[in-house]
Amino acid sequence: MERALKLVAYSLPLIFAFAFLVPVIDQGMQAVGLSAPFGLSTLTFALVVGGAWGVIAQTTGRWL
Amino acid sequence: MNAHSTILPEDLSQLSDAQLKKLELKIARKYSGRVPWIAVVWAFGNMAVWLSLWPLVFTGLLPLWAAFPIATVNMALVYLPTHEAQHDIIARPGTKLRWLNELVGHATSWMIVYPFEVLRITHLDHHRHTNNPELDVDITVNSKGPWHAIWNIIAQRQPGAKRNHDYAAALYRAGRTDLIVLSLAYKLGHIAVLGALAWNGYALEALFLWWLPYHIAITYIVFFLSWAPHHPGGEQGRYRNTRSWRSNLGNIGSMGMQFHIVHHLHPYIPLHLTPAAYWEMKPILEARGCRLGI
Repeated sequence: MERALKLVAYSLPLIFAFAFLVPVIDQGMQAVGLSAPFGLSTLTFALVVGGAWGVIAQTTGRWL
Repeated sequence: MNAHSTILPEDLSQLSDAQLKKLELKIARKYSGRVPWIAVVWAFGNMAVWLSLWPLVFTGLLPLWAAFPIATVNMALVYLPTHEAQHDIIARPGTKLRWLNELVGHATSWMIVYPFEVLRITHLDHHRHTNNPELDVDITVNSKGPWHAIWNIIAQRQPGAKRNHDYAAALYRAGRTDLIVLSLAYKLGHIAVLGALAWNGYALEALFLWWLPYHIAITYIVFFLSWAPHHPGGEQGRYRNTRSWRSNLGNIGSMGMQFHIVHHLHPYIPLHLTPAAYWEMKPILEARGCRLGI
């Protein structure tokens, strides 16, 4: 149980990234009329950017 | 008699430590012991306004751009009523209105994603160990100046920040490791609500009604409640670990923290009475060599 809780606590940045950051980027781009580069959909772009940011926060312990 | 006080003699210089203490306590008691109904109305009124923003925005009655600043003010206003409850100011243990004290704390602290008991235990620990580099849970807020403080406050909210470990250590010292689990549950619950809204097409509403207001408010709260009143945060001891100071935003704009020294000396005085208590107590504080900037 304790190990599972530690794993969840450790994974919070990744959980946050995919649960919230990705749809925020996706819907934010749509709201201001931005299109994604390389012919990607805004959701795919958000998954790449939000996911990468989440991985960086997960490994470095910092979002900024 | 002193100009500000009906209790103090004109000349305090001849008084002993015990006599000064007695006079200080006499003034403090004069301003304590009453239920601060303003904090109760503030707590639930503020929560009601914030909760009402959601249906107003979802139904299109209020634009998101207008709701965002209101939500930010709501988030900034959450902490102080819980702070009164943390210090048992609304009602002490064993009194008739004790339930109200606990209700104010528990019913509103979730908005800023903290269990009330975590706020209470860590804050009381801050009072016990103010400016102690090893034990003060707020020590990481110490900074060179206001802009550095703002950056530092944001940096200390990052996942790997020392402040998180300091809070966990305080709970561990208090034997309340269960609250570490509860804190995690609050964080997960917050992400779950934000995520559920976001993946159902309300990401911007979640962003501008909760997530961003929360982060702006926490920065503001920590700046005015932790950094400014203790700056530079190097001294310990009852009469030197905090100060009075003049804020560019005034006493209301700095959430009553210009008179934080009175709160640390007598944490049972309600927030709205600390200015009056300060002015009456000021000659004693001067005699004690306190850091007074106002």
